[in-house]
Order: sequence, then C-alpha cells, then structure tokens
Amino acid sequence: MTYIEKPSISNVIKFDEHNVAQVDKLTVMLNTGTDIYQGACKKRGSTLKDEYRKVAGVAYMDPKDMAKLGVGNWDSVLVKSDWGAVVVYAAHSRDAPHEGMIFIPKGPWANVIVSNETYCCSDPTYKGIEATVEKSDKEVLLMADLMREVYKKYTKKAEGVN
Amino acid sequence: MAYEEPITDYDKIVENCTCAFCGSNCDDLDILVKENSVVGVRHACRLGASKIMEDEDQRLKVPMMRDENGELVEVEWDTALDAAAELIANSIRPLFYGWSETNIETMKPGLELTELVGAVIDNQATICHGPTVQAVQNVGYPLMTLGEVKNRADMVVYTGSNPMNAHPRHLSRYTTYPKGWFRKRGRYDRTLVTWDPKYSDTAKLSDIWIPFEENGDYEFVNAIRAVLKGKKLTKDVIAGIPIEDIYELTEKMKNTQFGALFFGLGLTHTLSKQRNIDIAIQLIQDLNKYSKWVLLPMRGHFNVNGFNIFMSYEMGFPYGVDFCRGYPRYMIGETTTIDLLNRKEADVFLVIAADPGAHFPSGANMHLVDIPVIQIDIHWGPTTELADIVLPGTFVGVETEGTSYRMDSVPLHMKKAIDPPETCREDEWIVTELLNRVKKIKEASK
Repeated sequence: MTYIEKPSISNVIKFDEHNVAQVDKLTVMLNTGTDIYQGACKKRGSTLKDEYRKVAGVAYMDPKDMAKLGVGNWDSVLVKSDWGAVVVYAAHSRDAPHEGMIFIPKGPWANVIVSNETYCCSDPTYKGIEATVEKSDKEVLLMADLMREVYKKYTKKAEGVN
Repeated sequence: MAYEEPITDYDKIVENCTCAFCGSNCDDLDILVKENSVVGVRHACRLGASKIMEDEDQRLKVPMMRDENGELVEVEWDTALDAAAELIANSIRPLFYGWSETNIETMKPGLELTELVGAVIDNQATICHGPTVQAVQNVGYPLMTLGEVKNRADMVVYTGSNPMNAHPRHLSRYTTYPKGWFRKRGRYDRTLVTWDPKYSDTAKLSDIWIPFEENGDYEFVNAIRAVLKGKKLTKDVIAGIPIEDIYELTEKMKNTQFGALFFGLGLTHTLSKQRNIDIAIQLIQDLNKYSKWVLLPMRGHFNVNGFNIFMSYEMGFPYGVDFCRGYPRYMIGETTTIDLLNRKEADVFLVIAADPGAHFPSGANMHLVDIPVIQIDIHWGPTTELADIVLPGTFVGVETEGTSYRMDSVPLHMKKAIDPPETCREDEWIVTELLNRVKKIKEASK
C-alpha cells in the first residue's frame, strides 16, 4: 500500500503546456470546508479586512485546471452552481493533484454557491456540488460588500436616503 | 516563518487555561497578560493563538441598533435589551440558534427563555455533526476518552476530517505523537491512517493514505465490512480503491491492539449524510469481534458537544428542540434551523456565539433578510451585516469563566485571564436579562 508516494507537482503553472487544451468553462466538483488560514482569520475576528477575502474568497484549484482556463494565482474566476454565482480568486492548491475538483473554504463566498437542501437531515449539502468555473474580470468583493450585494437587507433603505 | 523573539514584557502568566477554539479544548495554555490585555499565549496552535490574540479593531464593544437609514448606531444597554425582549415576547415562532461558543452557564437561562416563549433552540450541530447524532441514535456510540487513545491506540484513522487544519493539536496532544503508557515510543508505535479523497495536510503525515473517490465513503466502508464478515468482493476496484488494498487494510485493522477512528464533516456533508456515520459505527462494532476499536466525531467548536449534552440531560433531545406546543419536540428536518429558514417559518432569529452569515448557505440566510435578527457576539462578523440588534458579549475562556465539554464529553473548567471591556456584558447576564424582561412583558399582557 504505497499511496503515500505522490507525484510531485511543480509550483509553476505552465500556460503553454502542450497536452492541456484551453477551455473557457470548466465543469468541476465543488467542495467546501474548513482550512487553517480561514479558521484563524475568522475566529480572530478580522472578517471585514482584506485578509479574510484572501483566505476565504478563494478557490483552490489543481494547477492543470488553472492552465486549462489560463488563470494564474490570484486571478478572478466566476464559480457558478445551481444555487448561485460568485467571483473568487483562483489559487494553486497545496493538496494537488485533484483535477476536476475545487475547494473553497467555508465563508460568505462559498455560501452563495452551496446547496441549502438538507434532504430532511438538518444538514445542508456543503460538499460534492456540481459547479462551473470560468475566467472573470470582476474584482472579488470584500465581506461587507458581498453581504450587501447578496442579501440587500439594508441597501434599499440606504439608497432611498441618498 | 521568520524567527520571533520570545515575549518577555508581561505582568503575569495565567497558567493552564482552556483554549476556546476547537473541540480539542487543550487545557494547558499559558496566557501572558500585561495591563489587563493579552500580549501572548504559549502552547496554543495557530488557531487557538489567533483567537486568543483577537483582533481588537473588530471587537463589538457597545450595544447597537439599526437607525432609520439602516445603519448600526450605538444605544444604551436598556434600550437594546428592551427592544430585543419586545421582539422575542411578541413573536410567534422565535428561533434561538448558536450556543456552541459560550459556556454551559449561559445555556441555562437560554433554555428557560426558550420554554417561556415556546421557541426552537438549536446549535451548530445542526449544520455540522447533526447527522452524527442521528446515527448515534440509530446504531450506538462506541466512544472513549482521548486519554485512552493516547495511552493505548496503535492505529489511528482519520476520515472525512483534516485535523492538521481544523484541530491542529489533536495529533500531537491526544492521538498520534504523545508517548502513552502502552505506547512508550509515541509516534513510532502507532500507525496513522487517513481515508480522504484529498491529499490533505493530515494525509501528508500519514503512514497510509486511502484516496477513495468523492462520495465513495459509504461504498468503501461497506466493502471493509463485507471483508470482515468473510465475504468475497466481486469487483476489482471499489470506490476507486483496488480490492487487494481493501483486503490488506482490513487485515491490518483486524490485527491492531487498539484502534481509534475519528471522523469529521467530510462524512456528514456529503449526500449520504447520517448513513455514512451509521456504516462507520457499524464497522467499529464489527471490528470489535477481532480487536478493540472505538470512534469519535471531531467536534468543531469548543462547546458544541456541551450544548448537545446539556440539552440531552435537560430535555432528552440533543439539538433542534421545539417548545411551540409547550413540551419539547425534536424532529430532524422539521425543527432544525436550516429547515425552518428554508421554509421561511421563523419570525425572530436570536443568534448567540455563532455566525450564520459566514456558515449558512445563502439560500437559508435569505430568510434572515425578512425577519429581525438579534446578535450576541464578540466580533463584527458577516452576521452583524444582517443583524438588527447587536449585544456585545464577553470572551469565554479569556474574559469569562465557564464550563465546556471536550469532544469526548469530558467537562472542563475554562479560566478567566483578563477582565472584559467595561461596556460589554457576560453572555449569561445578557440572556438572564432578556429572560427577566420577557417575563415582565408576558405578565403585563396577561
């Protein structure tokens, strides 16, 4: 049983890799969950700051998938699922290779695209969701801006006054 | 990582504090205090240290309410508490969610308030280990304390969890690395196994990594059970794992002296939900025909288990308890938070020591836009963006004493190292105050 011997993956993303066909849209499986950087930032309380966007508003992708899309680290990508769409950063996963799978740490960004369906089991389906990834030129929103754009709880009132 | 000079500039050390982060509840933390503020912490992991060395910029220090423009503005404690009590007293289907990051002492008046107004009380288990609790009710709970694992275990299996990211000291303090009574050489006497589709940070440390395919957990565990019962596997590859490896792993698991299986949200968040846990518990039962095996869920918050134990003792149900009929009811999928929000049933949402804004799917959170939200917390987080009334609590484990339950159900005392900010109030005080004010309103309306 030698699964522990993993092929090593270079940290450099090769855009001109010959056996990688360029695509505009990638169909992937989305997983969410905790991550030590997200956990530390969230529980310290620094959720309004840029660092929270950098640790939770990010999709960790396989370098080959990133090459297919032609995105580099910290480029914006649009992730869409049946439940919504959100712009997050793309970043090279340190658990690669896992082609066809992306990981977004739990947080307001991941919430937009995960399923709230509990199938009568109290627990929403946070993992194993079908999604698509495409390149985006939009900037990833900070937490407060994202909450305003997604939920619009108080924006209507504020706009009326302005 | 750059070398940092040890901190020498402090007034006193508060020894053996209990960490207020994950379910490992490490109770050996030394907090360095200077002029009533924390300047350093020893022995904590990255997560624990980051929480104890909190971000002062985003600390909630005063009660706040929304003004007519929808901005949060500072108000007096009395104003905020009266407004919150008024909302709770006049609601039809209030929902009190959270409780996992506060002490047991706060839950007591919380439960009384729930009974008084006929609310639903629920905690974070509803979105993390809820299916685990259901599975435990289905097939049993072969658990242990972490001390047993430390002293005896020679095989430790992690599945659907990544303790190096979520419980960083779990391996070093309880399961894999420490020297135990029967495991004198520590790590060398133990086999660390990870079953995870991802080559996670824990898998990188493991002796054996089983990368079954996504959503393949049920099939894979079932295959091991079949082999244990002497059945022959007919397929060549099961859940992405060649059957020779399944035979080999099963043989190894049979021949251990003491095995421990730890599982996390990887099992509960996929489609099979509680059935994944059912099968894992049944695997442990089967393995006990050959050797001693135990299992434990990797609980996330430091007191998420505490709430389940508290509610089970007090009301007979672990979470999602509904009092709308005057007696406790518990019906998964009906009286649980996400389902109540999905069906747009709740009309007041009290959230204490939790962050649904960060952790609920937005489909469920959408209902919070339409109803008043009362938040009791210590930091300005995603939920504050949706909150109508904000009541600043104190930091349990640093500013307030209390009791919490570790993931293996061991109750621990949490020490206090510094005094809370003057304008903040303890969670217990806030909830008791809400209870008294709601009582008054109810009596006046009789």
